[in-house]
Amino acid sequence: MFAMIVAETAPWYQWAADLWKGIADWNFLQFVVAFLTIFGFILTSATILVLAERKVIAWMQDREGPLHTGPWGLLQSVADVGKLLLKEDIRVKHADKLMFLLSPAVFMAPVIAAFAVLPFSPYIQLPGGALTTGLVFLVAMSSIDVIGVIMAGWGSNNKYSLIGGLRSAAQMISYELPLVLAFVGVIMLTSVLAGQPGFPGQSGIGSIAPYQIMQFQNSAWHHTGIGILDFIFQGFTPWSWFFLFQPLMLIIYYTCGLAETNRAPFDLPEAESELVAGYMTEYSGMRWAMFFLGEYGNMTIASAVASYLFLGGFAGPGVSWLTAQGPLLWGFVGNILALGYFVFKIYGLCFVFIWIRATLPRLRADQLMQFAWLILMPVTLANILVTGLVYFLTSALPTWVFLTVLAAINWASVFGFIWLVGRVTTSTTRHAQAPAIRAQLRAKPAIPAPALRDGVPARVALPAGSHE
Amino acid sequence: MATNQDTDLQGLTTTDSSEGVKTQEMLLNLGPQHPSTHGVLRLIMTLEGETITGCTPVIGYLHRGLEKILENRTIMAGIRYMDNSDYLSPMLNETAYVGAVEQLMGMEPPRRAQYIRLLTNELQRIASHLVGIGTYGMDLGASTPILWAFRDREGILSLFEALGGSRFNVNYMRVGGVLHDFPKDWLKECETFLDTLEKNMKEMDALLSGNEIFMSRTQGVGYIDPQQALAYGLTGPMLRASGVNWDLRVNRPYMAYREVPVNTYVRQEGDCYARYYVRLQEITESIRLCRVAIDKMPGGAISTRTPIALRPPRGESYFAVESSKGELGVYLISDGSEYPWRAKLRGPSFINLQIVPELMRGHKMSDAIAILGSTDIVLGEVDR
Repeated sequence: MFAMIVAETAPWYQWAADLWKGIADWNFLQFVVAFLTIFGFILTSATILVLAERKVIAWMQDREGPLHTGPWGLLQSVADVGKLLLKEDIRVKHADKLMFLLSPAVFMAPVIAAFAVLPFSPYIQLPGGALTTGLVFLVAMSSIDVIGVIMAGWGSNNKYSLIGGLRSAAQMISYELPLVLAFVGVIMLTSVLAGQPGFPGQSGIGSIAPYQIMQFQNSAWHHTGIGILDFIFQGFTPWSWFFLFQPLMLIIYYTCGLAETNRAPFDLPEAESELVAGYMTEYSGMRWAMFFLGEYGNMTIASAVASYLFLGGFAGPGVSWLTAQGPLLWGFVGNILALGYFVFKIYGLCFVFIWIRATLPRLRADQLMQFAWLILMPVTLANILVTGLVYFLTSALPTWVFLTVLAAINWASVFGFIWLVGRVTTSTTRHAQAPAIRAQLRAKPAIPAPALRDGVPARVALPAGSHE
Repeated sequence: MATNQDTDLQGLTTTDSSEGVKTQEMLLNLGPQHPSTHGVLRLIMTLEGETITGCTPVIGYLHRGLEKILENRTIMAGIRYMDNSDYLSPMLNETAYVGAVEQLMGMEPPRRAQYIRLLTNELQRIASHLVGIGTYGMDLGASTPILWAFRDREGILSLFEALGGSRFNVNYMRVGGVLHDFPKDWLKECETFLDTLEKNMKEMDALLSGNEIFMSRTQGVGYIDPQQALAYGLTGPMLRASGVNWDLRVNRPYMAYREVPVNTYVRQEGDCYARYYVRLQEITESIRLCRVAIDKMPGGAISTRTPIALRPPRGESYFAVESSKGELGVYLISDGSEYPWRAKLRGPSFINLQIVPELMRGHKMSDAIAILGSTDIVLGEVDR
């Protein structure tokens, strides 16, 4: 609309000059820088994570991992990508062609799109970073992934793929709910903090934008005038990060993140010991690599969102102070620092992903569902209730009382949760397995049981009519 | 809600409810090339959703005619082929074969040879159980146990290499004794290894046994009645996990086991977890037995003098050892020549496999892997 007004009131060369000014403008440059950084990060981080995963798991399993490509095996991922690019793209003859060819793209595209609302530093962020409904956008994008998986499972015309695709659909939809409910606790915290001195936003109105939630966690420092303290704590207040007040929600979010990204112990859709490779069985070459890229991209997103919502985002010592000094030299250093802190947090959380994969066996499909619906859902709902209740009871008192009480309750409930999981998984599993056991007990063998004679089994008595 | 069922040529049931929902069972071919069928087993399963309604194992993909080969080799040459039967426990196979020949000839190996056999057999049992536990973890999706297990197994294979010259197909037993005496410091190395192993097994126990997910995947899955177990002729850890205290080393002691008492571990649950845990405990017991054997290792000859061309007298013999999988029996008929007239193996894996279809019915597809892994079969012995 703006362009139209300009075109009406000014000659065309004026309009062209304005356009050029806009392109050469700081904002456009920011867009280019941010786009290249984020896109480059997605694509390279997958290869880095693959290598990191292999090396870290190797370290945990008492072996060396890749060693022969490049120094200490560092170029292994590069070689892998080269191999995948050169590999023949095999298409299954009786596959549903459209579905088969399209599904890697459907899987991969939302992963890249989701990064639009994740700023990497004060400067390196797409215009979408300011999107006020960032979390909704993220959840919507991660839901689209399911469609890609189902398309792959159906289109491959393979039974293993089909089972994998259907498992994945059930799993991703089930875990989306507790994931979103885990966000709610954080959003409630932001609405309590909004409008307090030093905090952004209007009183009582929280935020669902990752960038603003990050600001809420890092606004507790007030300018003191002592140089070194200001330098460190300006915009970096780890004592008000939300994982301190909602640790249980961090754990649950992280668990759901594992399930969303199909990582162990929730890697049922591609369980290699059961389904060969699940929905990816029939894919090869770069199409397979796109699934892989998407998966590791999902892992990065899950970690990034966790770091935004619970671990203070890209905030770190010096970032705010330096970027406030001016856009050029110190601002540049500040942005690089922020990028460093952010990537450090992401990879730290990804390390936990890998660690879990090296430790835990895989759940079964029905146990997976039970865990989501019978444990995670009630716990997240209860958390929302408790947060609201604590606020209601302490609303007359200063905010720090609310936060302290909430933190105390939540940390206590972390241990309660661990106890609960231990109890409930075992008992519900037994309950679920009872029919199978009963069926087996009913179907006793036709041959009657032999009597035991001091540990020596007697000769098995054959039923009457059968000849010896 | 009236339902209308129909069975097609493949034996798959189509259920047509009156509400217009038509469901059909799915035929899933698991194997012979599948990551968790422990070789080349093929399972044809009918699935209703993910629930197994039927399962038929198809075997024979690894059939090498082992029994026929044994009949066409001289007895000394046959020992080497026994390695390939249950390729995870060659020492135990050889002991069974050699024992059958000795029984036929009415000879007794020297005491030292018997103790060496006990020591190597127990080491082999540890190695086999390590593979069993490790691959079981892998079947359930835990990637670390298998690599830890193979790291420890590597130590045993190195010890065997120092002993017999070969890591895997050791070819170490001989009729009337064993091939070589220990190399220098072998026993000391063995003791060091056992200490490391004991430490590592505690780690393995901590990693897997108490894990909630592992427990919920295995407890109550694949339940075997003690009576059912006896009726199917199960032996070894599968039988002991069902509460039947039966171990050939205790109940029919042979060779040095007549002097070394063995503790058996029995669990009453009869499920996959019990089978896993019995194996884990047997490793501990085997470590103890190895230490006992090293302490009591007698001096003397390692072998009796046997003729180069072995001609056992006319007759038949059945000799069974407690292999890592169960009762491994060798039945020989000799016609007085250098060749066994008939050689028959009672492979425990083959017999333990028979109960698998029974166990799988009603379980989920993921449980099929858990159940199959818990039987710890070796296809080399099933197909022979």
